[in-house]
Amino acid sequence: MNGANSVDGANGLTVTGLTVRFAGLTALDGVSFTVAPGTVHALIGPNGAGKSTCFNVLSGVYRAAAGSVRFGGGELTGLAPHRIAALGVARTFQNIALSGRQTVEDNLMLGRHRLTRAGFASAGLRLPRARREDARHRARVREIARFVGVDEHLGAPAGTLPYGAQKRVELARALAMEPSLLLLDEPVAGMDGGERRRMAEVVLAARADLDMTVLLVEHDMGMVMRLADRVTVLDFGRRIADGPPGEVQRDPAVVRAYLGGAAARGTAESDAHDAHDAHDSAEGGKGGEPG
Amino acid sequence: MSTFVELVVNGVSMGSVYALIALGFVIIFKATEVVNFAHASLLLAGGYVTAVLHDDLGFLLALGAGIAAAAGAGALVEVLVLRRARVENHAVLAIVTIGVDIVLTTELTRRIGTEVLSLGDPWRDRIVTVAGVSVAETRIAALVTATVLITAFLLAFRHTSWGVAMRAAAEDGETAALMGVRLTRVSLGAWALAGALAAVAALFLTVFPTPGLDRGTSFAAMKAFPAAILGGSTPPPARSPAA
Amino acid sequence: MSDPSPPPDGAPGRAPDRAPGRARTGTPGRAAALAQPLAGLRRPAVLAGAAGFLVLLALPFYLGAFWLQTGLFAMSAAIGAIGLNLLTGATGQLSMGHAFFLAVGAYGYVYLASDSGPHLAGLGLPTPLAFLGAIVLAGAAGGLFSPIAGRLRGTYLGIASLALIFIGQHVLFNAGSLTGGFNGRDVPPLRLPGLAFDDSPGLVLFDVPLGALERLWFLGLALLVPAAWTARGVLRGRPGRALNTIRDREVAAAVMGVPVARYRAGVFVLSSMYAGAAGALLALVFRRTVPEYFGMFLSLDYLAMIVIGGLGTAAGAVAGAVFVSALPQLLTRYGDDLPLVAAPGSGGVSPAEASRILYGAAVVAVVLFLPGGLLGLWSRLRAAATPRRGPRRPVPRLDEEEQPA
Repeated sequence: MNGANSVDGANGLTVTGLTVRFAGLTALDGVSFTVAPGTVHALIGPNGAGKSTCFNVLSGVYRAAAGSVRFGGGELTGLAPHRIAALGVARTFQNIALSGRQTVEDNLMLGRHRLTRAGFASAGLRLPRARREDARHRARVREIARFVGVDEHLGAPAGTLPYGAQKRVELARALAMEPSLLLLDEPVAGMDGGERRRMAEVVLAARADLDMTVLLVEHDMGMVMRLADRVTVLDFGRRIADGPPGEVQRDPAVVRAYLGGAAARGTAESDAHDAHDAHDSAEGGKGGEPG
Repeated sequence: MSTFVELVVNGVSMGSVYALIALGFVIIFKATEVVNFAHASLLLAGGYVTAVLHDDLGFLLALGAGIAAAAGAGALVEVLVLRRARVENHAVLAIVTIGVDIVLTTELTRRIGTEVLSLGDPWRDRIVTVAGVSVAETRIAALVTATVLITAFLLAFRHTSWGVAMRAAAEDGETAALMGVRLTRVSLGAWALAGALAAVAALFLTVFPTPGLDRGTSFAAMKAFPAAILGGSTPPPARSPAA
Repeated sequence: MSDPSPPPDGAPGRAPDRAPGRARTGTPGRAAALAQPLAGLRRPAVLAGAAGFLVLLALPFYLGAFWLQTGLFAMSAAIGAIGLNLLTGATGQLSMGHAFFLAVGAYGYVYLASDSGPHLAGLGLPTPLAFLGAIVLAGAAGGLFSPIAGRLRGTYLGIASLALIFIGQHVLFNAGSLTGGFNGRDVPPLRLPGLAFDDSPGLVLFDVPLGALERLWFLGLALLVPAAWTARGVLRGRPGRALNTIRDREVAAAVMGVPVARYRAGVFVLSSMYAGAAGALLALVFRRTVPEYFGMFLSLDYLAMIVIGGLGTAAGAVAGAVFVSALPQLLTRYGDDLPLVAAPGSGGVSPAEASRILYGAAVVAVVLFLPGGLLGLWSRLRAAATPRRGPRRPVPRLDEEEQPA
C-alpha cells in the first residue's frame, strides 16, 4: 500500500510489508495496509490468519522480521512496548490482561502511567507534587470509568468482576491512556447481544470525543460492519482483501477464505444474529444507555 | 602430564555428580516450572537413609532404600504440597519448596548432628593406577554411574511416552493437557525421578575423598544450582546440564 | 485498600453509609472503603496506629534485656522484610540474595565507622554518616546486580541471585582486612550529637536508666516507622501499580507504558537499600558481625517471613518478621515447659531447631490454607467480626485465588 504520504504526520497508521516468522512458520507475510486518521479500521480473517500477531507487532510485543510500521510520522518497528505506548498507542487484549488482584481503579490508573511522573521517591515520601498528580488523574479515571460504564466496580478487585465487565475495564484502561491510536483485540468476544451493542456505542463515542484512530480485530462481522470505515482481510498471514466493509464482504477471495475454513458456519450464524443486532442498536442507540 | 590427566578425570567425575543433581532440578523445572529449593534436602534424605541402613542391609540394598526414600519424599512433596497449592505465581511455589526444605534439612541435620556418616560403599579409598595415572575407584564409579543414568534419561526423554508427555508439558502445559497428557502424572514422575537422582548423587558426594555424609552435605549440593542455571534455561536434550 | 470513595453522582442508594456516626465504626475493608468519606475511614485506623506506637514507645521502660533484644531483631527483620516484599511480594521477583545485601549493610557500616587499625581497614567516618553510607553501599551493590535483576523474571532471578550468596560468603570469609574473616568485626556504636547508642551511663528517663538496648529500641522505631510508611507510599502510588502489574500481567504492563526492566531494576535497588538498613541496624544490636550469619539460611528466613506475614504489603512483612524472629526466642525462653523441645545438645529437638521446623511448616501451611498470610487472616477475622453493612451494590462473588496484595 502506498498511501504513506497521505496519512503521515497525523494519527494515521501505515503498515508496509510486515513479515513475522516463528521458528520457520511465517505468521505474517508482507502485510500492508493504511489506517486513515480518525477512522475505525477493522482487521478480520479466519482463526490463525495473523491478526493477533499483527497487533503484537504494532504494540511492540513481537519483533517483525521485515517491514515497517509508521504512526503519526514516526517509525514504530523495533521500539520497545513502553516506548510505543509513550507515543499514544493503546491496546486491549483478547484474553483479558487485567491485574486481577488490584482494584479496577488501580488498573485504570495504570493506564495513566505514561501521563504521570511520580517515581519511587516522590510516591514513597508522598511529595505534594505526587499527591496533586494522583488526585488529578484519579478524577479523570473516574470520568472514563463512568463513560465506559464500570464506575460501580471501581473499588472491586478486577479479577472478581464478571467477564463482560472485565472486558469493559480493559477498554477503559486503554482509554485512560488518552491514546491517539487504539488497538482493540476482539473487544466483544464472548459477550451477549446487549453487551456488544453497548460496547460498539462506547467505541464510537470515544472515537468521536477523544479524536482517536481505531484499529479493530473482530470475529463478529455485524460489529465490523457497524463500526468500521474500512476493512483489511488476512488469511494465512497474507492480505487477501482491503476496502470498505460492503465491498469486502462480497469479495470472492474473502468468501472463499471464510467458507474454506471451519469459521464458515460461525460466520453465517453471526451474520444472521448481527442483522438482528444492528436493528436493535438503531433503536437503542438514540435512547442512550446509562454511562 | 599424569597430574593433569588425574585432575581432568577427577574434575569431570565431580562435574558428572553435580550434573545428576542439576538434572533432577531441571527435570522438575521443565515439567512444572517450579524451582525446587527442596532439592538439597531430598539429596540429604537419600544419603541419610543409605547411611543408616547399610550396616544391616548391605550397601546395595541400603542404596536402593535410599533411592526409594528420596524418590518417595519427592513424590510426597508433589502430592501433598504442590498439587494442593493453588497459586499462579511460581515464585510463591518456589518459596513453598523452601518451607519444605527448611523442615526436612533441619530434621535431618539434627539427626546427623556432628557425626560424619559413611554410606558403606564398596570402593572405600582404593586407587587404580593405569599408565602412571592414579584415580580413586570412587571417582570412576561416579563417572560411569552418572554417564549411564544421564544417557538413560536422555534416551527415555526422547523415545518413551513419558518423555514425550514431559516434553509436551514443558513446551505448553495447557495444550499438552488438552491433547490428553496427564500433567499430574508427569509432575509426579518428575519429582520422584529427581529425588532418585539426588539420592545417587548423595552417594557420590560423600564417598572418598570426602570423609562422608555430614550436615554440610546439603550445602555442597546447593553448589550444583549454578550448573542448573546454565543448563536449565533450555530443555535438557538441547544442552546437557553437565556442561 | 483505602481507595477514596467515588464521586457522588450516579451512586444512588449509598447515602446512608455516609452518616458520620456509622462511618466511624465501619469496616475499613474493601467494600466499605468505597462508600465512606476519607476522614471517616482513616480516623479509627490512625487512632489505633497512634495507640500502638505509644505502646511501642513505652515498652523499653518495662521490658527486660531479653525482650528488648528480641524486639530489636524483629524490627531489623521487619525493615529487611519490607524491602523483600517490595521485590518478591509486590513485583513477583524471587530473590535469594537478600542476605547478601544485609551483609553489605552490616559490614558496610562497620567499615565506614571503624578507625583503620593494623589488621583491619576502616574509614572512621562519623557514625550517622556511616549508617547512611551503609544504606547507599547496599543500594550500589544492588545497582551493580540490577542489569541482571531487570532482565530476569520471577524464579529465574531467584536462581541467579543464589550466586550472590556464594560470592558474599566467599568475600566475608576471605577479605580479612575488610571483614575480619572468620572472626568477624566489632561494631562501633552509633553516636549522634549528645547521644551515644551504647551503655554509657547518665541517660535516665522517668527514673529508668536507659542502656544501649533501650536507646537502640528508639532508634529501631525511628527507622522502622518511616521505612514502612515509605514502602506503603510506593506500593499505593504509581510505582506500586506498575510493580503489581508486572507481577500479574507483564505484557500488559509494558504495553501500558511501564518500562518493565527499568522498574525491576529499580525495585531491586530499593529492596537492597532496605536490606542495607536492616543489616546496619542488626550490626548495632549484635555489636559484632559474623560471616556465617549472612548465609543462605538468612535469605530463606526472609522469604519465609513475607509468605507467612502476607505478600505484597508492608504490614504483612512486619507481621511475618515479628513471627519468624520471635518464634525461636519464645521457644528458647519457654522451651522447658513445652513437650518435644529439649535443651540444646541433649539430643532432642533444640528450641532453635524446633522453631525452624515450625516456621518451615508455617510457610507450607500458609500457602496451602491461608492465602494472604497472617495479614489476610487478620482482615478476614475482622471482616467476620464486623456485621455486614456494606452498601448494596453488585459486589461480585469472591474469587478463590484472590490474595490481598
